[in-house]
Amino acid sequence: MAVKLSVEGVGKDYLIPIIDTVSFTVDAAEFLCLLGPNGCGKTTLLRILGGIEPATRGRVTLDGEGIVAHQAHARKVGVVFQEDRLLPWKTLRDNVALVLRPLGVAAAERTARANRYLDLVGLAGFEDYHPGRVSGGMRQRAAIARALAIEPDVLLMDEPFGALDAQNRRIMQREIRRIWRETGRTIVFVTHSIEEAVEIGTTLVMLSARPSRIRALIKNDGREERTKLIDDLNTMIMEEVERQQGVSRGPADSGG
Amino acid sequence: MTGRGWVDRLHLPTLVVAAGVVVGWSIVSAKYGAYVLPSPLHVLSGFVEIVRSGEVWKHTAASLSRILVGFGGAVGVSLLLALAAFVSRTARGVVHDVVAVLNATSVFVWIVISIIWFGLSSWAPIFTTFMITLPVVASNLVEGVESVDRRLLEMGDVYRLDGRQKFTAIVVPSTLPYLIAGMKIGFGLALKVSVVAEIFGVTTGIGYIMNYSREILATQMVFVWALVMVLVMMVTDTLVFGTLSRRLSAWR
Repeated sequence: MAVKLSVEGVGKDYLIPIIDTVSFTVDAAEFLCLLGPNGCGKTTLLRILGGIEPATRGRVTLDGEGIVAHQAHARKVGVVFQEDRLLPWKTLRDNVALVLRPLGVAAAERTARANRYLDLVGLAGFEDYHPGRVSGGMRQRAAIARALAIEPDVLLMDEPFGALDAQNRRIMQREIRRIWRETGRTIVFVTHSIEEAVEIGTTLVMLSARPSRIRALIKNDGREERTKLIDDLNTMIMEEVERQQGVSRGPADSGG
Repeated sequence: MTGRGWVDRLHLPTLVVAAGVVVGWSIVSAKYGAYVLPSPLHVLSGFVEIVRSGEVWKHTAASLSRILVGFGGAVGVSLLLALAAFVSRTARGVVHDVVAVLNATSVFVWIVISIIWFGLSSWAPIFTTFMITLPVVASNLVEGVESVDRRLLEMGDVYRLDGRQKFTAIVVPSTLPYLIAGMKIGFGLALKVSVVAEIFGVTTGIGYIMNYSREILATQMVFVWALVMVLVMMVTDTLVFGTLSRRLSAWR
């Protein structure tokens, strides 16, 4: 499979090192889940992948082209944030259509495409609703429709279902899996829920405690038994959480 | 909608209180005489009289046109200040400080200064209105600009909206409620302040005619014009600002 997204020695320091060095590649049409303890830099890494903020070290390429902060690159990156980030004064359709304007899509086509992607995420009939009038799950669906509408080279999702209740979460996990299958998009999905990652991802990347490195990279192709995989990952994440809290101080280079 | 709003507001307890006030007013009036406190009936007949003679429109229009210029100017300048505050952090600090100083300045200062500068003309109440309402509208607008959700702006960046698209799609809609609120307070203040400034040197306007009525000992006309002021305020509040904010928050 062709490499879509390539992360080469990426690191990030704020005042202290947040991300040590992380390298991995994402193939086209892969569904990669980034896992790790809270505060390990998952979101930061995703923001670097999305060109929202710059990396301190290393580089990210998408289809061989460098991803630069502040969207100064030509590739299309769709982002779904933890919050829906819909404009409350615009209808769901207008929210989706808005992001097509910078792409130079004609007005009629913007509406048509917005309708098509709202339909894809199961929001047919709700196009004229304002975000405040629909449920949190539906808002997050609309945010996914917005990210898909630009027909992105890669779709980045930052714990998009974190604010949903358990039932909605399950439903949305199944939905994103279906949408991924139907659209064939490359997805990088940040979550701290191991069950969620094992449920939806084709590749799982477990990050270590801060400053993060890759603790494990697992192909979730069904070869390994699900419950055992979840157990292993749980053990790993517990170790990392403990390390982050300074409970047991393992050797500094135990990651990787 | 507005019709129902009025009916809702005129609910029974309020009517009872109003009736009580009228009765008390009549008693006090009968005791102290029409010069000190004209009777409700007296005031009502005075009101009918100025409506019939058309005088009410003449002075109300004079006051409102001055307010429109002074207050309108303040809204215009506030928009520019808010835009500057949005674009530059330095400008934001300056605007904050200017607003603080203006807020601390008394109405009387502007009245006296405007008489010195503009003499006894319409520009005195206009300038006073401008200077008093500017900080109110500006501080509201700047607050609105500051409260624009950074996360929405970041979303705009991610999807590469340009400056103009972000401004019209994100900044303007999230600032509008603050503008309306600022204008509502500002307009009320404008009406109160411009009327005071009209005491000096102009020969039209509600402030002028109230003061004139006092001078010719027509106390009932003072009350009549006070009534006109209250009516103007309530009507603009419900008709203009009520409608505006309802229309703007339709999506809520």
